[in-house]
Amino acid sequence: MTDTSSRTGTTDSTGGADPKTRTDDTADRERSVAVDDLRLTYSDGTEAVGGVSLAIPRGEFFGFLGPNGAGKTTTIKVLATLLNPTGGTVEINGYDVRDERRAVRASVGYMAQETAIDEELTARENLDFACAAYGVPRAERDARIDELLDLVDLSDVADKPAGGFSGGMKKRLDAATALVHEPQLVFLDEPTTGLDPKARNRLWDYFRRINDAGTTVFLTTQYLEEADALCDRLAVIRDGEIVERGSPAALKRRVGGEILEVDVGDTEATSDAAVADPATDAAGADDRDPIVTAADIARSPEQFGDDATVETTDDGVRVTTRRASERGTDFVVALRQAGVTVERFDVEEPSLDDVFLAIADGETPDLDAADGDPADDEPADDEPADDEQRDDPRESAESEVTV
Amino acid sequence: MSTPGIDSGSADESSPAGPPTGNSFLGDVRVNFTRWNRKAIRNPTAFLLEIVIGLFSLVLFAAVFGDVGEFALAEAGYGDVGYVTFLLPAVLMQATIGSSFNSGIGLVGDLDSGMFEKTTASPMSWTAVFAGKAASELLRIALQVGAVLALAVAMGATIETGLPGAAAIVLVCLPVGVLFMAISNVVGLLARDDEVLNAATMLFMFPLLFLSPAFIPLSDDIELLATVNPVTYGVDAVRALVLDADVATVHDVTAFGGVWNTLVPAVAVLVALDLVFGALAVWLLGRASSANAD
Repeated sequence: MTDTSSRTGTTDSTGGADPKTRTDDTADRERSVAVDDLRLTYSDGTEAVGGVSLAIPRGEFFGFLGPNGAGKTTTIKVLATLLNPTGGTVEINGYDVRDERRAVRASVGYMAQETAIDEELTARENLDFACAAYGVPRAERDARIDELLDLVDLSDVADKPAGGFSGGMKKRLDAATALVHEPQLVFLDEPTTGLDPKARNRLWDYFRRINDAGTTVFLTTQYLEEADALCDRLAVIRDGEIVERGSPAALKRRVGGEILEVDVGDTEATSDAAVADPATDAAGADDRDPIVTAADIARSPEQFGDDATVETTDDGVRVTTRRASERGTDFVVALRQAGVTVERFDVEEPSLDDVFLAIADGETPDLDAADGDPADDEPADDEPADDEQRDDPRESAESEVTV
Repeated sequence: MSTPGIDSGSADESSPAGPPTGNSFLGDVRVNFTRWNRKAIRNPTAFLLEIVIGLFSLVLFAAVFGDVGEFALAEAGYGDVGYVTFLLPAVLMQATIGSSFNSGIGLVGDLDSGMFEKTTASPMSWTAVFAGKAASELLRIALQVGAVLALAVAMGATIETGLPGAAAIVLVCLPVGVLFMAISNVVGLLARDDEVLNAATMLFMFPLLFLSPAFIPLSDDIELLATVNPVTYGVDAVRALVLDADVATVHDVTAFGGVWNTLVPAVAVLVALDLVFGALAVWLLGRASSANAD
């Protein structure tokens, strides 16, 4: 996974920076997106978006995930002023989407789901049109266009008609046209859909660079790998409502738990401490198969609680639990006390796929951070955002900034 | 509860504050005018084909209808008018209508390519976006009509009103162009398919040309249909300028004198139709903008 901490300084979950300091920075930052109870109901009565609230500080790389038809594109179109909301308030860069539409449009870039370039024009002419449309001063246009062509690696084909470009080149040109006016915020609606991995990686690199330059990025995607690689923070929408939100790491822990893998060797001959631990008492004797012993210890309620899943592997055990980080060290100690040699110890995060599938299936085990006042979306200075993160000291430091 | 949809731009114009976009309304018109001109230069085939088709039609119709036409002209009192000269308004109307329908094809292309939404999402005035596109299309019509006119003269057609009359002929073709640009945009917005638009071009062009005094003097059998046919007014106005005479076929206005008795009512009818169909096209464009939320 790409390390995003170097880009924003807000997603470091290792506690390297002072959480309090970072919280203050966040509180001072202007919000790029402030949405309160956004609703959009179509004329036939279908509610596409039902009470979405978001608060996105400037400079963040924000991901908006959800299955097809969940309301992602409808939401992004409201934020980009292409649809009028039927309820709630939406401010973009401090401007109201209803009353200050032109100001919103001038301050954002918008890249639609489908590539939108003029294929009869050259790459340079497409960018020139975008510059003119957004009022980039004529004296600055040539330099800006050259800079963007270089950024999206299209300088060599700058004067060729865009109709002859590959899908990836068209997408990169489309993305560049959304940024000619150096917007404070850019909306990217499923920008890499249909691209091959190479083209996708180049676009990712481009998005990181514009975020590095200070542009807030609002990305919708169905690709969990994309969200994982790019986003500081995510919200997951289903049936027009936000059902989860947090950093990628927090969501994965919250929904999927963690996977603790331990490889064990032969059982040691003696274990003075074994009798001192009820768990190891229950686990058994020195002459048993060390894998079975390890599995028995893992299954004891004292180790990971009742919700852990314990499987044996060829070399040891695999435990899926939300308490892997918290209890992992104690588990290793318990194994040693039982005389089991630990040869490898690893804690893996589940993938965002697990999060997505759980949410798509309607399994939302922790909805405490769901819709409500936008204030719910950003933490108060002196408290973490939700109970889940308060349970985890590492996550608590992170959540004060990002959730 | 309000109905969701794209505001056509009223809020844009009245926005009290916000970052400077650098463009005035006319600036936005110019931006889009430039874009559509560039597109025509990049892909000039359609532009050139309209000129070629106009000339081809002039040669073809003169060859096929020449003898019948000369006879009909003599019967109708145009004995001293060559058939190529008489045919010139028909060919100019044909070129104008054919070129005008490219407006709808361009709109469908923008709807398909996402450029329609992209320009809507920009801070440009919605009205200016379409005004710039229309200005570019009118420029192309003027150039095509001018080219066909020049080549027709080279082939033997005579313009009795001279160079000023030739310029006036180009100007008279513009309200005809606006009318069919509006119609093509209406068809394009309803069908959203350029193949339908291509078929519609033929559907409108030839029945309306043949139900007008374009190819031969108007007969009593079709006079009623010709009266409600906008092409009749375009043909009459152009022919009045070509022949420097009052040649009105469906009305007897005498208040203006000479060629103006034909020109003034014809242009008035065309402008009135432009307003009606233009308003319909603008209304449908606004409706199309909010279609995503319907």
